Amino acid sequence: MTDTQQQAAPQNALTVRNLNFFYGQHHALHDVNIDFPARKVTAMIGPSGCGKSTLLRVFNRMYDLYPGQRAEGDVTFDGRNILENGIDLNIMRARIGMVFQKPTPFPMSIYDNIAFGVRLHERLTRAQMDERVQDVLTRVALWGEVRDRLHAPASGLSGGQQQRLCIARSIATRPEVLLLDEPTSALDPISTARIEELLDELKEEFTIVIVTHNMQQAARCADQVAFFYMGRLVEVDTADRIFTNPRQQQTQDYITGRFG
Amino acid sequence: MTLAPPRQTETLHSSLEKEEKKSGWTDRLFHLLVGGSALVVLLVLGGLVLLMGYGGREALHIFGLQFAFHNVWNPVTNEYGAWAPLFGTIISTLIGVLIAIPLAFGTAFWLTAIASPRVSSVIGMAVQLLAAVPSIIFGMWGFFTIVPFVARHVQPFLTHHFRHTPILAPLIHGAPFGTGLLTAGLVLAVMIAPFMTAVMRDVFGAVPPMLRESAYGLGATRWDVMRKIVVPWSRSGIIGAAVLGMGRALGETMAVTFVIGNVTDVGWSLFAPRSTVASLIALQFPESPAGSIRLSSLLALGFILMLLSFVSLALARTLRGDTK
Repeated sequence: MTDTQQQAAPQNALTVRNLNFFYGQHHALHDVNIDFPARKVTAMIGPSGCGKSTLLRVFNRMYDLYPGQRAEGDVTFDGRNILENGIDLNIMRARIGMVFQKPTPFPMSIYDNIAFGVRLHERLTRAQMDERVQDVLTRVALWGEVRDRLHAPASGLSGGQQQRLCIARSIATRPEVLLLDEPTSALDPISTARIEELLDELKEEFTIVIVTHNMQQAARCADQVAFFYMGRLVEVDTADRIFTNPRQQQTQDYITGRFG
Repeated sequence: MTLAPPRQTETLHSSLEKEEKKSGWTDRLFHLLVGGSALVVLLVLGGLVLLMGYGGREALHIFGLQFAFHNVWNPVTNEYGAWAPLFGTIISTLIGVLIAIPLAFGTAFWLTAIASPRVSSVIGMAVQLLAAVPSIIFGMWGFFTIVPFVARHVQPFLTHHFRHTPILAPLIHGAPFGTGLLTAGLVLAVMIAPFMTAVMRDVFGAVPPMLRESAYGLGATRWDVMRKIVVPWSRSGIIGAAVLGMGRALGETMAVTFVIGNVTDVGWSLFAPRSTVASLIALQFPESPAGSIRLSSLLALGFILMLLSFVSLALARTLRGDTK
């Protein structure tokens, strides 16, 4: 590795090179090459089935749970190719957190939802854990709403609160990257706005990759936008450029609503 | 809108009405049919309770409430009490359920969390086949396999080692016939475990994939996900599976009749021949003349067995209700 490369490495939290993905016989991603700058928000947009969620699931090797799904190529995270066999998946997944389309509170208390992931990787005293819980809940602006019922079941929270809890749960293990798969698709506009505000604060600390169907959301939150179509990366550029003056006709057509 | 000719609205109106009449007629028939089927459920349930209660009224009248707790079943002196078969039913069911729950839970857990999908589907199919085996097959198998095994190996071994152990001694007391509560419990366990496994496996499988993935996404292992996410999430389903199995064990007739020895007596020994409500009814019903106190007592037994099933169901409901 040359000096310049070493210096450039921390700039990108994730580097994808020649990535191909298969669901059995179905070739879902074709030769994808893309960088995800550290501590920036990258939005992935494109019509349903274009491969954007598939790419997200490559980053924490979630596809490993399902036989027949495989990825080929390089995804460099912290100097290593995470598609290699020798990677400790449990540690890697704690360092690359994920939030899903719908809130997925675990069947336990609010406190334990947060502590669940932390307990898997760290041994904390009761006081340290209390502090961690309060810290992450404060950061997702949920502390004031739940401080009096930390030990009540998380299923009692509203949808928006549950989703913020899930984000808190993901950042509690102190990941470097946060993957969000259409995190606001099941939420009302007010809850959506709060999550978007939250992303803006979180990007100071985390590299954020968000999949969204909502153009406005991508325009509002993202620094970089990637447009996918039919399993290929069509274009990636700054949000300004993509939404005002995209290079590709396909991108233009998609963001202006001509197909999708 | 005001310019629209009135005739047109009229035709529209009448055609709507016609449509309504036609759909109203089929709708009503449909309502009648489905409502009728639902009503049949109530009629059958009420009819059963009534038949048992009415048929058993003579026995309950003669022996009073003592009938349930009286340990005597003597066709010669015409004295009847339900305690012995009731005791046999409850204890053999408990033994069966206590053995079957860990067995079923373990199998379901292994099938969902550990086995590879291909192995899991093969074994899962075998479990379902086993659950579909008629109970009389288990009865014959129990008679030819479990009974001799218990008589030749289990009981002699236990008697040899624990004859003088304070609490165990009365439990293993008796001649080595091989029949009795433990054997019945074992056969019941083998019979209901596949059924419970199949239900638990479905319940584990019904956990939303996204919930599992959320846990994996935090770096949890399969074991963590199973223990902390899947099991708590499907708790009410697990209880439901256990109760369904228990219900089957309570009423099981043929398999138990083959291996329990059919002696109406009560005692601590798990190896002495006993009887259960269902086995006693099956054996004595054909020899009880119509109108006899014996027949009435058997019907009263049936009534009590039904109550027992209802109580276990109610218990399950409250158990489930508490967790939600």
